[in-house]
Amino acid sequence: MSVDSRLPHALVEGPVRGVGAFTLELARSLGAIALVAARTVLGLPRLERRELVRALVQFGYDSVPLAMATAALAGVIVVLQSGLYIQRFGARAFLGWAAGYGVLWEFGPLLLGLIMSARIGARNAAELALLQVGGQIEGLRGIGLDPFAILVAPRVVAMELSMLALSTFTFLVAIVFEAVAAYFMLDLPLRVFFGTFAQMLGALDLVGGVVKVGTFGLAISLVSTAVGLSARGGARAVGQAAASAVVRGCAAIFVLDLLLTLALAGWMS
Amino acid sequence: MKRALAFFGAPVVLLARTTRATAREGLGWRECLVQLHELGGRSVWLVLSGMAFFGAVLVTIANSQARRFVGNVAVLGPAYFELLIRELGPVVSAVLTASRAGAGHAAELSTMGVNEQLEALEMSAGDPLADLVAPRVVAGLVGVPLLCVLGTVAATLSAATVAQLGFGVDGRAFMDPRYVDVWDLLAAAIKAVACGVYIPLAAAVAGLRARGGAEAVGEATTDGVVAASLGCLLIDFAVSLAFQLLRL
Repeated sequence: MSVDSRLPHALVEGPVRGVGAFTLELARSLGAIALVAARTVLGLPRLERRELVRALVQFGYDSVPLAMATAALAGVIVVLQSGLYIQRFGARAFLGWAAGYGVLWEFGPLLLGLIMSARIGARNAAELALLQVGGQIEGLRGIGLDPFAILVAPRVVAMELSMLALSTFTFLVAIVFEAVAAYFMLDLPLRVFFGTFAQMLGALDLVGGVVKVGTFGLAISLVSTAVGLSARGGARAVGQAAASAVVRGCAAIFVLDLLLTLALAGWMS
Repeated sequence: MKRALAFFGAPVVLLARTTRATAREGLGWRECLVQLHELGGRSVWLVLSGMAFFGAVLVTIANSQARRFVGNVAVLGPAYFELLIRELGPVVSAVLTASRAGAGHAAELSTMGVNEQLEALEMSAGDPLADLVAPRVVAGLVGVPLLCVLGTVAATLSAATVAQLGFGVDGRAFMDPRYVDVWDLLAAAIKAVACGVYIPLAAAVAGLRARGGAEAVGEATTDGVVAASLGCLLIDFAVSLAFQLLRL
């Protein structure tokens, strides 16, 4: 008798508890991100210049080889993929347009976002977690300095600027590699490739890609900063902060990707 | 040049040493199951939700591309479905798994390294390669292909739903397996298995190298996840190129 009355209760309790925990965690993360964003904006007038330059070198310049490798891979992969269906329809001449569209709209921003979330997101979270765990952020506050103006705002600004700079650079490298790959693998003359590319793509398509990468950069910087600053514990916490920054960054990128694609596709047409 | 050699060579050397150590010490099946559960349970929600969003994006892109040159997404649907099965399903799922599992493994192993737990394991006649790395590789070998299948299914279902509700096309037109043949499935399987072996190895290379304090843990985690993600892209590129050159 008592088992019968308890069974439905136990069946309901698990999922409800899961949904509740997820909602609480989501609200907590969004709140932390909003706090970081707001305090960064407030810290902008008192931005520490030297830290900004250091972060620009670390997040932007040092990521150039990785971004270039990603761009080259993305370009060749997109050609291999669009070749697959373009040849099915006997429309080889349109490869330049299809491959350019694919890399500007979807695969360039997405792959760059995922790789940079692993590289600069994890690094930023690990560094901030290290400072937090070592009590150095408390120390800054203790001597009357604002850690947000000194540490956080320059990093967020530098990550966003780096992503924007890397995006145009990535697109350029990816498109050059696409043309070369199309020439060698599908025997498509460069003139034909760039012909349809220039004819059927406009400046708006490039803007779409840059907007996507910029939004991903903002998501990566805010998420990794929030995760890094909330780390507590020892060496284990630093590793966990870096790992969870990558995961949350990737999740945010996929959600934003869908929202931006829908919004931009609606706005273009 | 040295870095490129290290990038490709270190996982191969680690795989060879792990195989030899495992042949000597034997493989703990219970630990493999625990690692498989860790990998699957930790990554499955990320892969499913990420791939569902990705499927919706893919059908939106296909729709705007189709309107430009063939009229209707139903025409382009089967070709995009082949693309999803052969290329995007396995690779995007693997990159998502790499970001979760690669970062997790690298963080765990490097924390053990800086806390001298690896030395303690060796002192008590254990072998870090056979006891820690081998179960993770086996878990990746089994788990990543399963996650890739789940991710592809999630992307297909969400793409069909979006096509049906958003663009007013029969959703089943997108799931048309007209162009999918056994070679597409083979390419997808090779990619998934290769990524499944590579992700734990790349994470272990970065994790086992860490010496120092908390700073080394952060660095190792970053290196592990970057190597794992980039490696998945490289594997995808190599397999696609090989199939393209063989005209399969």
